[in-house]
Amino acid sequence: MKSKLFLLWSLITVVLLAYAVYEAAFHAPMERTMFEAQRIFYYHVPAAAASFALFIVNCIASIWFLWKRSPAADALAVAGAEVGVVFCGVVLITGPIWAKYAWGTFWVWDARLTTTLLLWLLYMSYLILRKSSDAGSTSVLAAALAIISSLDIPIVYMSNRWFRTNHPQPVIFNDGLDPKMKLILMWNVFAFMALGILIAWFRYDLERLAQSINSAYIRKAAHAGFAVALPAVFLFQVQGHWPPIRYFHAGALASWIIYLGYIAILMAKFGRLRKEERELHG
Amino acid sequence: MSPGILNLTAVNVRKDLRLEWRSKDVLNSMFFFCLLVVVIFSFAFDPSVDESRQMAGGLVWTAFLFSTITALNQSWARELRNGVLDAYRVSPAPAEALFLGKVLGNFILVLLLECLMAPLFVLFYNLQPVGPFWQLAVVFLLGTWALVVNGTFFAVMSIRTRNRELMLPLLLLPVSIPAVASMVLATTQVLTGETAPFLQIKFLAVYCLVFTTACFLLFDTVLNAE
Repeated sequence: MKSKLFLLWSLITVVLLAYAVYEAAFHAPMERTMFEAQRIFYYHVPAAAASFALFIVNCIASIWFLWKRSPAADALAVAGAEVGVVFCGVVLITGPIWAKYAWGTFWVWDARLTTTLLLWLLYMSYLILRKSSDAGSTSVLAAALAIISSLDIPIVYMSNRWFRTNHPQPVIFNDGLDPKMKLILMWNVFAFMALGILIAWFRYDLERLAQSINSAYIRKAAHAGFAVALPAVFLFQVQGHWPPIRYFHAGALASWIIYLGYIAILMAKFGRLRKEERELHG
Repeated sequence: MSPGILNLTAVNVRKDLRLEWRSKDVLNSMFFFCLLVVVIFSFAFDPSVDESRQMAGGLVWTAFLFSTITALNQSWARELRNGVLDAYRVSPAPAEALFLGKVLGNFILVLLLECLMAPLFVLFYNLQPVGPFWQLAVVFLLGTWALVVNGTFFAVMSIRTRNRELMLPLLLLPVSIPAVASMVLATTQVLTGETAPFLQIKFLAVYCLVFTTACFLLFDTVLNAE
């Protein structure tokens, strides 16, 4: 039953993604000054939305865990944090690629960039804690840290008012954005949210499987995902002017390498855990 | 709060300070470490008088942040050595008293370090605050409390992990970055006398309040995590 639902969701996600990504790449109106480089936006914004939603899931699941001590809540918290870190990583990689074209530099210590980086660091430290604490106490310590981290997020946003911001102001909910662009962006947000739910679901099942066979050697895949995506960024060390579409391609490539690399790592883990489970039962 | 919790806190603080007074382990290592950071900074950046006024806020807090981390690790490792922590867990004393005691003990030690280091900063970097001194004092009290309260909480979390001492900075630094940013900004503002740091002081007060409450409420859970 559950796996049928999962298959159905995968199908919906694939269809949504195919439509949204195709629209973003070929049908979205061309931006006047940034040309195709602006299309990175259709990867950047949905990933940010999804990662934010996943961090909220992590926070709620952690509170639920401390309250009820349910292993399912713990698995949901892991899934939220780890997949959230991967999506946040996509935000942090596509952003600089776009910025290189639009601002001429990969990184500035601007309010929004700093905030996102801090968010990534906070949840990275959460994942590191999970990995290095003793098996018995991991869930409780991690839940406590998740609550502290989620308290830190509004404070980070507050403190960032003191930084100047270079980042484009939110144009999505007022009339600054072309209606067609907005429509396509919304499709992309839906599609990548669906992808986020799908991956988190998979990660959740994996954690439940790991819990059920009491396997401790789940490794964080986030690291590997970034290692795979790094070459895409290094391409940009090349001097000279590139046409804007190259920036879009690099952004899209980096995003897909991270997403697919992460899914591949999860699949490999899944295979290993299933094998271990079969050995234990049979 | 029951009347016993304040007494217990006082007992914990007295015990910690007496242990420290007899051994001076933490204070010595913290002081020397801080001194080294200051000297290394000076070699690494070689600032002129004006430059050093601009970067002093960052320098002072970086030095204190790293020395605080060395102190915090020590303060819980001491309890672990003789199984004191386990004894505390089975005793009926409220865990919050232990936490408050540790925070206050560490707070006093770090303040002491700051008082000892202040003349050295003035000497090495030729610093005199242009703004009013009391503002600097408020910033240092709030900033130190912010570091120590989170640090004590994360230190007890990190001694429960496999790579104990290594874990503390990894947990503490990301959460502390907003506080460190505002401490640095406030200190620089007082030192250069450009603007009054009231916004930063308010921010630090809110930060201290939020995290003191959160750590206080979660401490029992973390101490008894199994």
